[in-house]
Amino acid sequence: MTETPLRPETLADILPIIAEAMATQQPLAVAGASTKSAIGYPVAAATLVQCDRWTGILDYQPEELVLTVRAGTPMAELTDLLESHQQMLAFEPPDPRPLFGGNHQGTIGGVLASNASGSRRLTAGAARDFLLGFEAASGRGERFRAGGKVVKNVTGYDLSKLMVGSFGTLALMDEVTLKTLPRPETAISLTFPAAHFAEAQAIIAGIFATPYEPSAAAILPADMAQKAGLSEVMQVVIRLEGFAVSVADRATHLLNRFDRGEKQGEAESRRLWQDICDTRLLADENADIWKISCPPSSGAEILATLEAEINSADNPYPYYADWGGGLIWMAAPSYTPSKVAFGSILRDAVAQHGGGFAMRVRTADSDQGLTPVVVPPFQPLDAGRLALHQRIKAAFDPIGILNPGRMHQGI
Amino acid sequence: MQMPEPDAAVIARRDSILAALRKIVPATSVVDSEEGRRAYDADGLSAYRQLPLVVVLPETVKQVSAIMRYCYQEGIKVVPRGSGTSLSGGALPLADAVLLAMGKFNRILDIDYANRCVVTQPGVTNLAITHAVEDEGFYYAPDPSSQIACSVGGNVAENSGGVHCLKYGLTTNNLLGVEMVTMEGEVVRLGGKHLDAGDYDLLGIMTGSEGLLGVVTEVSLRILQKPATRRALLVGFDETATAAQAVGDIIAAGIIPAGMEMMDHLAINAAEDFVHAGYPRDAAALLIIELDGPEVEVDALIDRVDTIVNQAGASSIKISMSEDERLRFWAGRKAAFPAVGRISPDYLCMDGTIPRRALPDMMVRMAALSQKYGLRVANVFHAGDGNLHPLILFDANEAGELQRAEDFGADILRACVEMGGVLTGEHGVGVEKRDLMPIQFSEDDLKQQQRLKCAFDADHLLNPGKVFPQLHRCAELGRLHVHQGKMPFPDLPRF
Repeated sequence: MTETPLRPETLADILPIIAEAMATQQPLAVAGASTKSAIGYPVAAATLVQCDRWTGILDYQPEELVLTVRAGTPMAELTDLLESHQQMLAFEPPDPRPLFGGNHQGTIGGVLASNASGSRRLTAGAARDFLLGFEAASGRGERFRAGGKVVKNVTGYDLSKLMVGSFGTLALMDEVTLKTLPRPETAISLTFPAAHFAEAQAIIAGIFATPYEPSAAAILPADMAQKAGLSEVMQVVIRLEGFAVSVADRATHLLNRFDRGEKQGEAESRRLWQDICDTRLLADENADIWKISCPPSSGAEILATLEAEINSADNPYPYYADWGGGLIWMAAPSYTPSKVAFGSILRDAVAQHGGGFAMRVRTADSDQGLTPVVVPPFQPLDAGRLALHQRIKAAFDPIGILNPGRMHQGI
Repeated sequence: MQMPEPDAAVIARRDSILAALRKIVPATSVVDSEEGRRAYDADGLSAYRQLPLVVVLPETVKQVSAIMRYCYQEGIKVVPRGSGTSLSGGALPLADAVLLAMGKFNRILDIDYANRCVVTQPGVTNLAITHAVEDEGFYYAPDPSSQIACSVGGNVAENSGGVHCLKYGLTTNNLLGVEMVTMEGEVVRLGGKHLDAGDYDLLGIMTGSEGLLGVVTEVSLRILQKPATRRALLVGFDETATAAQAVGDIIAAGIIPAGMEMMDHLAINAAEDFVHAGYPRDAAALLIIELDGPEVEVDALIDRVDTIVNQAGASSIKISMSEDERLRFWAGRKAAFPAVGRISPDYLCMDGTIPRRALPDMMVRMAALSQKYGLRVANVFHAGDGNLHPLILFDANEAGELQRAEDFGADILRACVEMGGVLTGEHGVGVEKRDLMPIQFSEDDLKQQQRLKCAFDADHLLNPGKVFPQLHRCAELGRLHVHQGKMPFPDLPRF
């Protein structure tokens, strides 16, 4: 990697850079503010292109719920702007600083490229649900647009979905149009103790079978609950958001219907969900950090399958669940005491219990003196999807100029 | 509408194709007779008709895979079809293509309340999903107006919406997974009961791809708990601009109604004549605003919205005090299309979206176009998200009127794009808006979309002639323009 990254000012500036890279067959590492560069394989490229100068609000129509910005716009600036109009990005992009360090909260382009979605993803949707349209430069060195600047649009393929979560391997987005939503007037939380993970899942399923509309639901095992300042037993944490009169009413109903609940006020609730959404609870672990997306009711079975590893008396692996149980965050060493690569048995357990994926979002500093990690950071693709991935990559970036190998080898 | 030139060589091989299909599915599942095929010659866009080469009705994924593999190997085109309710001609048959009708995939496979998910075959209707789970208080949110008939597989293909999608999203926001068969006959699973892809979002790309990328054979849908209460306001305005302002004011106040529909003067009166819903006949514009959620919330928001529309200058306001009254408010809107059908022999339903602030300008433009073409237009409009449904009234038996109506519609869609909007909000491009795509997209934009198509179907065998005005060969689309005329890695396959 060169000492100084290229920092083009506009999309027009990047086109000759890509053209040159194509002519010389030199791949480019591309990034926003590089806050989440720990995710995936390091890109083997001599040149880093950083798009953090592609900044600026191009159009914001709060009444239309539509915001158009340049992809390098800092999240901090975007959040302030939306807050000043009592609006938000409803997918609740997590703050990357606890997990990845540094002072920058990242760019909107980086949030989209990594489909970074927080606790409200369960009920409001992910980053992928909020990108309405974009303009980008492909790995062919061509400028193209897709989608639109209105909230309802089915004209042509929904390429926005493809761009979100593609980690800069297909095209570099510049102008992005997002759907915004009103910020809730207030938010509080309810906590309910649970004896074990399966009971916690059952409590959440019960709450989602009522019409009281939680916006987020998490399970904190005893150690995590304690770390979050709650109590010394496993806790289900439910967030209620919206108009004050409605939140109060829903809280009353849920506290009446489900046993031993406790109410956490606005300030306490905000702090709790920062801990959960931004993965602060695991940030200080010197271990691999895994993000596991699974059916909400599979968590207990997956954890039971891994019981011997994760609950060993001398070295338990800390974990907790968000998304109503459908997202498990876990801090685990690369190898189990019996020298098995943990990622492999984790993925086997997920596959065995309803499917999903496990992504290693951060790798431990120390590898316990063993050989470097061989488990891929992204869930390996089955043959059918791998073929489609390769052909889609070729359709956007035929020579492999943009972040080659960041997600999967050859993509 | 120019469809791709039928391949005479394929048509000449019809008998051997029928025989091959009869080896894959039972003979009765191959519809051969002209009479039998006639039932499939059009979808909801009935102005266009074409007898398919043959209709085949598979009932297992294995059969679908075998049919696709056979057609791929033999270079035979395939047009997939759900219930055939597309309003844009997405399921219009081709003379040289096998019509793959998915109606026998009609079983719900798994209702999983713990994961709030229904796994179903794609031929099941949209409304049947809600019927299957409503005893437990759940429902499936997207509610296209054809929900009694349209299939969920078709919903995936078209990314269907409905009147509640401002708050609850389109199909893409409520879909957890699919099993699909590619043109080559490969069975691929995307998503499941978990959230998000963790790699390229192929599920997102499949949704709304109008049957051009793969055939959906299984669908996993997210279900939601039904809101405790629903109430609606029926609000009349003397001017469209004031009604549009009121819609903006409601959203600016942080309120996202479950539904927010607008009708213009002609639509109001057509509906009132038909169902007597108690609509204000003098109003220039009518808003139906529905709020849902916990009772105290709905009651509080009804008051807030009441205040907002009053301040915006509403000429009449009714608030539903019972479920019957709420349904009556909706009756006119839900009957708007047939109501317009009563005052005109034929109508064309358009589907552009505009930024909502452009609505007053759009109404002026439409009035001028109505004069120019000498045809009336009635407007119903998903006001919350700017999705217009102008209904252009015409008589197909009058020479030239269909053409005039189509030209009128095209001008409306041009105006939508000019005002910052798009050609289609929920009906899809299909054949109807295919030739208008260059209004919204540059040639480079369209070529990039077609390169994605090439990644799934390099020979353009799956539903060709839809969505893209010009078919480029994949080899041509893959050509690279590289500096100094030197192509790196000349051996790499490209498309």
